[in-house]
Amino acid sequence: MTLSEKYGTEIAEILSRYPVKRSALIPLLYLAQREGGYITEAAMIEIAGILKLTPPQVYETATFYTMLNLKPVGTFHIQVCKSLMCALVGSDTVIGWIKAKLGIGPGETTADGLFTLTAVECLAACGTGPMMQINDDYYERLTEEKVDRILADLKSTGSCALKTGPFMWPEPARNG
Amino acid sequence: MPESKTDSVRLTIDGIPVTVPKGTLVIEAARRVGVMIPHFCYHPKLKPDANCRMCLVEVEKMPKLQTSCSTVATEGMAVRTATTVVNDAHKSVLEFILANHPLDCPVCDQGGRCDLQDFSHQYTATASRFVETKRIFQKEYFSPLIETQMNRCVQCLRCVRYCDEVMDVKALAPAGRGTMTEIKTFGTHELDCEFCGGCVQICPVGAITSRLSMYEYRPWMLKRADTVCQFCGDGCQITVQTKDNELIEVNSEYGAGRNSGDLCARGFFGFRATGHPDRLTKPLIRRNGALVETTWEEALEYTAQQIARIKNAHGAQAFGGLISGRCTNEELYLFQKFMRLAIGTNNLDSSARYGHMNGVQAMRRVQGTHRWTLSFEEIVQADVLLLVGTNVTETNPITGLKVKEAVKKRQARLFTIESIRPAIGTISNITNLVDQHVCALPTQFGGAVLALLKAVVESRLVDQRLQHESPDYVGAVTQALERLSWPELEAATGAARDTFVQMATGLAQGRRVVVLAGQELLRSAGGYGSCLLLLDLLLLTGKLTEPGCGFAPLAEENNDQGAVESGAVAELLPGGLDLANPEARARIARAWKADLPLAAGATLVEMIDRARSGLVKGMLIVGENPVGSLPTVVGAKEALQRLEFLVCQELFLTETASLAHVVLPAASSLEKAGTFTNQEGHVQAVRPAVDPIGESRPDWEILSALSVLLGTPLEYGDAKELLKEIRGVIPGYGLLGPAPIPPKVDRAAVERYLAGDYRRALAARYTLAGPADAAGGTTHLGLFQSLFHSGKLSTRSKGLLQIEAQAALRINPADAARLALADGDRVRLSNRRGEVTTTVKVLERVPEGSAWFPDHFGQDTAKLFECAIDPDTNVPAFRTASVSIAKIS
Ligand code: SF4
Ligand code: SF4
Ligand code: SF4
Ligand code: FES
Ligand code: FES
Repeated sequence: MTLSEKYGTEIAEILSRYPVKRSALIPLLYLAQREGGYITEAAMIEIAGILKLTPPQVYETATFYTMLNLKPVGTFHIQVCKSLMCALVGSDTVIGWIKAKLGIGPGETTADGLFTLTAVECLAACGTGPMMQINDDYYERLTEEKVDRILADLKSTGSCALKTGPFMWPEPARNG
Repeated sequence: MPESKTDSVRLTIDGIPVTVPKGTLVIEAARRVGVMIPHFCYHPKLKPDANCRMCLVEVEKMPKLQTSCSTVATEGMAVRTATTVVNDAHKSVLEFILANHPLDCPVCDQGGRCDLQDFSHQYTATASRFVETKRIFQKEYFSPLIETQMNRCVQCLRCVRYCDEVMDVKALAPAGRGTMTEIKTFGTHELDCEFCGGCVQICPVGAITSRLSMYEYRPWMLKRADTVCQFCGDGCQITVQTKDNELIEVNSEYGAGRNSGDLCARGFFGFRATGHPDRLTKPLIRRNGALVETTWEEALEYTAQQIARIKNAHGAQAFGGLISGRCTNEELYLFQKFMRLAIGTNNLDSSARYGHMNGVQAMRRVQGTHRWTLSFEEIVQADVLLLVGTNVTETNPITGLKVKEAVKKRQARLFTIESIRPAIGTISNITNLVDQHVCALPTQFGGAVLALLKAVVESRLVDQRLQHESPDYVGAVTQALERLSWPELEAATGAARDTFVQMATGLAQGRRVVVLAGQELLRSAGGYGSCLLLLDLLLLTGKLTEPGCGFAPLAEENNDQGAVESGAVAELLPGGLDLANPEARARIARAWKADLPLAAGATLVEMIDRARSGLVKGMLIVGENPVGSLPTVVGAKEALQRLEFLVCQELFLTETASLAHVVLPAASSLEKAGTFTNQEGHVQAVRPAVDPIGESRPDWEILSALSVLLGTPLEYGDAKELLKEIRGVIPGYGLLGPAPIPPKVDRAAVERYLAGDYRRALAARYTLAGPADAAGGTTHLGLFQSLFHSGKLSTRSKGLLQIEAQAALRINPADAARLALADGDRVRLSNRRGEVTTTVKVLERVPEGSAWFPDHFGQDTAKLFECAIDPDTNVPAFRTASVSIAKIS
């Protein structure tokens, strides 16, 4: 099924937000990603058609943003921030823990298709690093125990109460 | 800052004062005083992007270095381009680029003409402080003709920007980000685009190169010849590079020629057509029914003998001649002189008859010129453009670029009447850029112009002065238009009245209005009438005589315009003079010191008819292929088979040449000297890049040799001598200057037209064309020109065949769905004239209910078409037919 067939109304709503059609590119790519966790070629071609762009123009944007996936990702897409602030407080170690626990390095997916690990640039939660984002949720001030629990919870229940974000300043008191 | 009143600013570059127009970039101001600021991402054709930082300069009173490619020169600015600070900055930028650049120069085709090499040399970068491993991209297959080597890329994005801003193709994408940005097309797909070669030409390094000549040369080994492309009327200047008499590559320097350095696929990749192994290298003569090799002596003597025999037995009128608009002016001129003097007949014609004559005759009648009153500059500077039946991207790609420039860079309003749907595709589509578009069938282009005229009249947009001075003309046109109703016009054109009103209003408001008519209009039935209607449109809106406004019919063959101007059509003498005019005839007779034949000559199809009926017994055909070009109903093959003698001068053994009694091998335009006249009327030098293949000789030499044998010597030492004679006959012809000065509309001719000449066949052209063809079926089959081919010559080009190797019928996705067809499926096309089978290709830009077949592969479909001869211009129209399509499983 095409995106237009499935999400016709939502696409129309997105398009109505922008006077210049091309501006709807990222929201539409995001919508396409929601579908299967990543953006397929067919989706890019369809979006190009909707916005009167060529497929290479859509491809250009899709490859620029690390938050848009062009390859299949696991059910849970773990994005660990590796930028300066998080690096100073140990993002390397976080990646190490995950590697030890799941056996995957950045860019890899577990054999069961549950987890994909990616190292990404700053996710704007620098004050509470090290941090990671899994699908749409933030997990901050990571410790080895927290990472353990998060991975275990996700595996068993599909969600985890430790999620904190998207993070907002000032830091909510309940954080801990 | 107070606005300065003048249009220019003064500044200094390294202390040298310079005055430049307002808005000039510092990098350009520096160029004016001979200071070359190093740069990668800047290119004068592109909008500044300032992404490479190579062009940093110091500007007094500015705290930091500025990118000279994006800084506009202002009054009193003091720029320094060679201080230590600047040099250090340049060095560091280079150091960053070289940190990732491979040591490829020895195997890189760009080596020796690479900006990165040059700048590295200039700044003698030695040791790098970077120790990290270099970025490495996996090599991926890119396309059959264009190669990428992304490790060499300096990420200046010139290629991407050119493909978007200039070409409007948008086939290239910078994929990824940062150092890992890589130029790709779409995922792992191979490149599918216009293959204009622009990205190859504009890449400052060896990251995008041509595969046609990969690893075959080092730039300094190449010999250059600046000459003119042989594939269309745009007349692009090309530089042909050769090594040991072998064609290696073609390019066009920035700013060169009328094309300003831009080319299309035919120009850039089509050059090897003339080196094809099938080229004729020896004269052929028919013996016992078969063509066999012979010597030039025998071939020429036999030919002269046969011509003389026919002339003696049946008179000069029993002979006819055809020549291709691919020949040089010198050859076209000599050909018609040969026909008129050595043989003594006006039975002569050229490929201009296939359509160009419709535009020429309309211009002669209404505005008294046989040329455009415009040049490319006026197209670029137009504020309103109307395109009718041009399919400009595919027929005249560089004219297309001028239109794109006018619209994209200068915000001109674009109106189109084309048989194309706006759609994004792998090649650009001019109707994507329109203000208003009418998607009409070629048979209804005239109808659409009528609707436009009606809108002009009804919306009271008729020029006041014209109304006042020529009330009869305005009245007659108004009356004729009253007879047409909006419902029938809307039904015929498929567009609403309001669209035409909008267009009419836009045209009337425009200050620089340019109307382009293309192949699809010029070659359609009623093409001449439609051209007159377009001229009526310019007249009525008061634009025809205004500066910057005018009518421009596009030429198909590279020298169709030259054919007209050299007198290589039955009814015209050199200089566009009318054969029927005694004064004109006398003038040419004086110049030639000989009498001209009086009897009006037969044109293309008339000659074929006379050959069939036995009136014409002998023909000389130079580079023209009526058997391969005309539809089956004309019966060219049967007619030519009846000739007692047929001699062809040809590059290849074409369908026509294979019927000949003698075939003389001719040199191609890459192998001879002369001039071509492009559609603007610009006469440009053709220079030999390689020696003639085998024993082939330039057409003019062959004609000259024959004339001697016929006892009417027309002898010339070289092509230059011929040009000198042409200049004597047509004063000032082809003073090869940088830009043509277009002629002005001849007011006397306009007055003659307005005073009554307009009445001739007024009713006929102010009538809607009926349903064109009733041969069966509901699909409108049209022959069209593909961007990747031109006539039959290009189908011998290896490069172009790699892009488009086979004929495929283009159909609309909705029609494809209805017939359950996908790319590559086979279909049968049929009507009551016959049937053919072919494969399909689904294309969104094809209108529903239409199907396009590429002209140059058209031989199979030739039987499906009817041929209508224009009663005024004798132009044969045979490009549309109705057919039914059925899937073959
Ligand atoms: S060759 Fe193709 S990709 Fe390159 S500029 Fe031309 S159209 Fe674009
Ligand atoms: S391929 Fe060439 S033109 Fe394109 S970005 Fe790289 S260096 Fe620039
Ligand atoms: S075919 Fe026409 S547009 Fe293309 S390069 Fe030749 S002259 Fe130019
Ligand atoms: S550096 Fe990690 S969130 Fe900003
Ligand atoms: S040339 Fe100025 S920044 Fe690239």
